[in-house]
Amino acid sequence: MIECKNLTKTFKNMVALNGVNLICKEGEVIVLKGASGSGKSTLLSLIAGLAKPSSGQVIIDNKLISKMPDNFVAMFRREHIGFIFQKYNLIPTLSVFDNIIMPQIPSKPDTKSLKKRVDELLNMFSIAKKKDEIVKNLSGGEQQRVAISRALLNDPNIIIADEPTANLDSKLSLEFIEIIKKLKSDKRTIIIATHDPLFFELDFVDRLIEMKDGEL
Amino acid sequence: MNHYLIGFAINSLFRRGAKSFFTLFIFTALIFLLSSILFISNSIKTELFITLKSLPQITVQKIQAGRHKNIELKRVDELLKLHGVQSAVPRVWGYYYFEKAGVNFSVVGIDSFDKQYKKSFERVVQNVDFDKLQNSMVVGVGVNEALRQNYYKEYFNFIKPDGELKKVKIAGVFKSETSLESNDIILMPKNIAYEIFGMSPDKATDIVLSVANPREIPTISKKIKELYPDTRVITNSDLRVSYQNIFDYKSGLFLALFVVSVFTFFMIVYDKASGLSSEEKREIGILKALGWKIDDVLKAKFYEAFVVSFISFTAGIILALLFVYTLQAPVLKDIFIGYSRLKPVFELPFILDFQTLFLLFFLTIPLYIAAIIIPSWRVASMSADEVMR
Repeated sequence: MIECKNLTKTFKNMVALNGVNLICKEGEVIVLKGASGSGKSTLLSLIAGLAKPSSGQVIIDNKLISKMPDNFVAMFRREHIGFIFQKYNLIPTLSVFDNIIMPQIPSKPDTKSLKKRVDELLNMFSIAKKKDEIVKNLSGGEQQRVAISRALLNDPNIIIADEPTANLDSKLSLEFIEIIKKLKSDKRTIIIATHDPLFFELDFVDRLIEMKDGEL
Repeated sequence: MNHYLIGFAINSLFRRGAKSFFTLFIFTALIFLLSSILFISNSIKTELFITLKSLPQITVQKIQAGRHKNIELKRVDELLKLHGVQSAVPRVWGYYYFEKAGVNFSVVGIDSFDKQYKKSFERVVQNVDFDKLQNSMVVGVGVNEALRQNYYKEYFNFIKPDGELKKVKIAGVFKSETSLESNDIILMPKNIAYEIFGMSPDKATDIVLSVANPREIPTISKKIKELYPDTRVITNSDLRVSYQNIFDYKSGLFLALFVVSVFTFFMIVYDKASGLSSEEKREIGILKALGWKIDDVLKAKFYEAFVVSFISFTAGIILALLFVYTLQAPVLKDIFIGYSRLKPVFELPFILDFQTLFLLFFLTIPLYIAAIIIPSWRVASMSADEVMR
């Protein structure tokens, strides 16, 4: 379970989040909607431990993420959270395979099981033929599938996606929704920040929450 | 050992190919220059110290009108009478200009085994009996080389002052531990040396003395000066100072080169330490967002820096060894021995001083690694969100 208690984040004099309270149960799919600058991305960053809140708490599975030392948050994130970024945040000069394995590199992975897992993901997202391609040579849709594969490598129970369809056409956006649906069926907790109307009426989305001026 | 992490670090170097290659090139060039300077300096210093050790304790020269003149042999007996003087040996030596090669040879005439030459000519003396040799000489490696290049393989024709030729057989070639000292030397019986120089047999070039107690050298020098006011008395410490001055002057030039190289290195280090490119920062942000700890990021950066610096260091040292000891340091060596260009070439003796290597290693590699690690640590310590923004 993810719990945000009175979460506030300020950047210099600008308030990005203002006393946000949110509870997300295990296996739940939440869509955060709102205009650019409403605080969606900031909230996702705080939940994933990518930034520290100015005040308030983030608790995941009874662990106070917001107060954990940086290295512990990193390890927690590696094991439990898969983050899909708006701009994918891939390393463009690395191959598909090298990008996907990045979350496991620090844990001295076993080569055989790592390759097996990567192959599973590549097949799942139909990019097996692109395994050795350099990422910058792939299309937007392919790059996003690489980013999703990377987020799922460690089999996380929480998936966080920030504007996942912002750079995709409608066909690829629908493909992405299918992937999310499948992940939901695997009992994963999913939080998606988007202003893409495609997500607003999906039957598998448990809650649609609107954000405005840093508040829910 | 996490080979995936090492692989990632090496991959990063290849991904930034041009930048990595440029750093590698500059680093290698600097190590090459620094180590070449140190190697040459060490070799010449070693030569100098060995030369200083074998200097005569006192050398007496006759001076006329401020110039060195040949000294009368009869003064040897008078000098031997001085209290504390152990031996007095007249020397016959001078320079012979070999026009074809454009070089000067140092010709030394000796009667038999002279103590003063012991250090340098031990090996020769063991093999050659000068008393039995007639019309023969033993030559240094450089002389032999110069003669062979001009087809003098078995003998050499000296041109005497009266224009006549003096044919002298080459009995052997010698190598001493100091090639600076022995390289241009020709050893021959005194009588031949007299003939070649056109010197009167009752004179010598100078007289070298040895004393029982080195502390008495200044007193004995004073007595000699009183006995023969027309002489110049040179003690081994005077010679040491003069040799040292030449060395210091030359090493000053090297020091300047050294300082420039070190300065350039520090400029690179400063440049590296002052910040990362936006691409590198973003990459660290991504790694952190994917669950890399600060030390995982720093380990990867350490491997990157170590690979670059170690390859550069090894390549620089190997190139410097080849340049200095195989190619005999063209250009750089001339800065040092420029004053004796007219002498035959001498070989820099191979001196591999591990202290120098360690000094270079610890001056460069940890500094470079620190210059990479510190800015990376600064970025990695920030939150992933902040870095990626």
